[in-house]
Amino acid sequence: MAENTDKMVIDGVELVGIWKEFMPSRILYEDVTTEFLDEVKKLPGGSTIAKCYQCGTCTGGCTLPEFVDKFNPRGFINLVRRGHYDILVSDYKDLVWKCVSCNRCTHRCPRGVNTQEVVRAIAKFLEDRKVFGKLTNDEAFDEIFMDEVINDGRIDEVKIVKDFYSKTGRLKDMMSGDQLSLGFKMFTSGRIKLFGGKIKDWKKVSQKLKEELQ
Amino acid sequence: MKTVLVIGGGVTGLKASHELAEMGYNVSLVEKQDYLGGQVAKHKYYKLAPDMRLVSEVLDPVIKNVESNSNIKVHKHSTITALSGNAPEFKVKIKNSKGESEETFGAIVVATGFEHFDPTVKQEYGYSRFKDVVTNAEVEELLNPNGPTKGELKRPSDGKIPKKVAIFQCVGSRDKQVGNPYCCRVGCVVSTKQAIEIKEKYPDTEVYVYYMDMRMFGRGWEELYGKAMEEYEVIFTRGRGAEVTLKNQQLSLRAEETIMDRPIQHSVDMIILAAGQAPGDGTIEAAKILGIKQNEYGYLAPKDDFLSPNESSKAGIFIAGADKGPLDVENCIVEGAAVAAKVASSLK
Repeated sequence: MAENTDKMVIDGVELVGIWKEFMPSRILYEDVTTEFLDEVKKLPGGSTIAKCYQCGTCTGGCTLPEFVDKFNPRGFINLVRRGHYDILVSDYKDLVWKCVSCNRCTHRCPRGVNTQEVVRAIAKFLEDRKVFGKLTNDEAFDEIFMDEVINDGRIDEVKIVKDFYSKTGRLKDMMSGDQLSLGFKMFTSGRIKLFGGKIKDWKKVSQKLKEELQ
Repeated sequence: MKTVLVIGGGVTGLKASHELAEMGYNVSLVEKQDYLGGQVAKHKYYKLAPDMRLVSEVLDPVIKNVESNSNIKVHKHSTITALSGNAPEFKVKIKNSKGESEETFGAIVVATGFEHFDPTVKQEYGYSRFKDVVTNAEVEELLNPNGPTKGELKRPSDGKIPKKVAIFQCVGSRDKQVGNPYCCRVGCVVSTKQAIEIKEKYPDTEVYVYYMDMRMFGRGWEELYGKAMEEYEVIFTRGRGAEVTLKNQQLSLRAEETIMDRPIQHSVDMIILAAGQAPGDGTIEAAKILGIKQNEYGYLAPKDDFLSPNESSKAGIFIAGADKGPLDVENCIVEGAAVAAKVASSLK
């Protein structure tokens, strides 16, 4: 039974308190907002979301549901269009990311929705709203990798591994026996170098890149 | 000049010819095939929705009216090849196996109709890859006692009666991927009718319909839909068929049950694709020869959809029936009569 703290007035006497509701309301919403739809539309790849007519061809042919329970492109689009932001965050925020971009949905969509891109845009939309909290390993690696490329113009393996472990708070793991011996083996066989070389005048390119990305 | 050329011997063309002949016009009816009745005859349609009337009850009188009327000259196995002149004196070349002849007409009625959409291009449905994936037109032939199986719904692969049949709606219609974003206007009712026919004949066979929307707008169609659910226990699932594969030597379809928010994989014995309508080759050819306007999908465009629905973009040339857009038999007959009236008033 749901608890209700609304005020109630019976015969002019005002009752205040907490009482149990025998039949809680089943109404899902009293108003539909297009706020989230508008936001997703503006994101790269999100422009075709409004074309969807909810036939389910995307989910029906999707590669993922066999492996990822509840993955449902049509459902994601529906939630965004109807403004069910809370449901999207509570039930699906970890699923939206799992699309493998096989593009079956996009090729089959009878309405010309670019489904794969729309799902990506919905994921981006959630990311922009910071619903994920801690970075996942993938995201942490992506960030470090991009920083490295922009700052130095090339990948320094030792540095990238060190940054990755420290960013995900696992420096201890890096110093474990098998990781160290693997590193040593790669060093002696010439696969990695302790200090990566520098690129001449990279600073200028780096500056330009940063400006472009802003 | 009281002569009219009618192009196309389908339901619309037959009705228009008969009505014009009754009004005293001399009609020449040109038909590409060596039989009359168009797609209805070609695919041996068996029953008509929603009253389950036999097609022969409707088509036979329409053909007989034409063949017995002395004002109508029927050119079977003939096509038109060239047009010159303007209204009200068109010179048209009619070609048949014996040769070409030129005749003069006061008006031309184009009733070249439609063709069933060929689902081979929808590769994910496996039509032409799997023998037991058939179109609704093929099912009409199977259910017809004069058809190849004498009215038994035998699977093409092994000749057995299927225990589970799935029907996919909107194949090649409402689909931008194949360039047909329009509704075929007949698929829903034809599928419902076929589901009932199958259930009537084989009560043990289960029939599942996978649909996006059931568009039951015609006379008695909604009642038929209700009947299919109540009396025949046909199962309607809201979700468009996504793909057809083989699983353990059996057809397996995938779709989403959108009401449950979950994908499904369903093994069945036979899949019927409710293929929609596309403008016929004859329609496109006729438009080219006569120089009349087509719309973006290849159908013939009326001069004004509301005010002059049966006039083409060229004066003296009239259009009617399923060459203007998807249409059912009942409304084709209406169109045939309507165009006859329009021709008569313009030739007065």
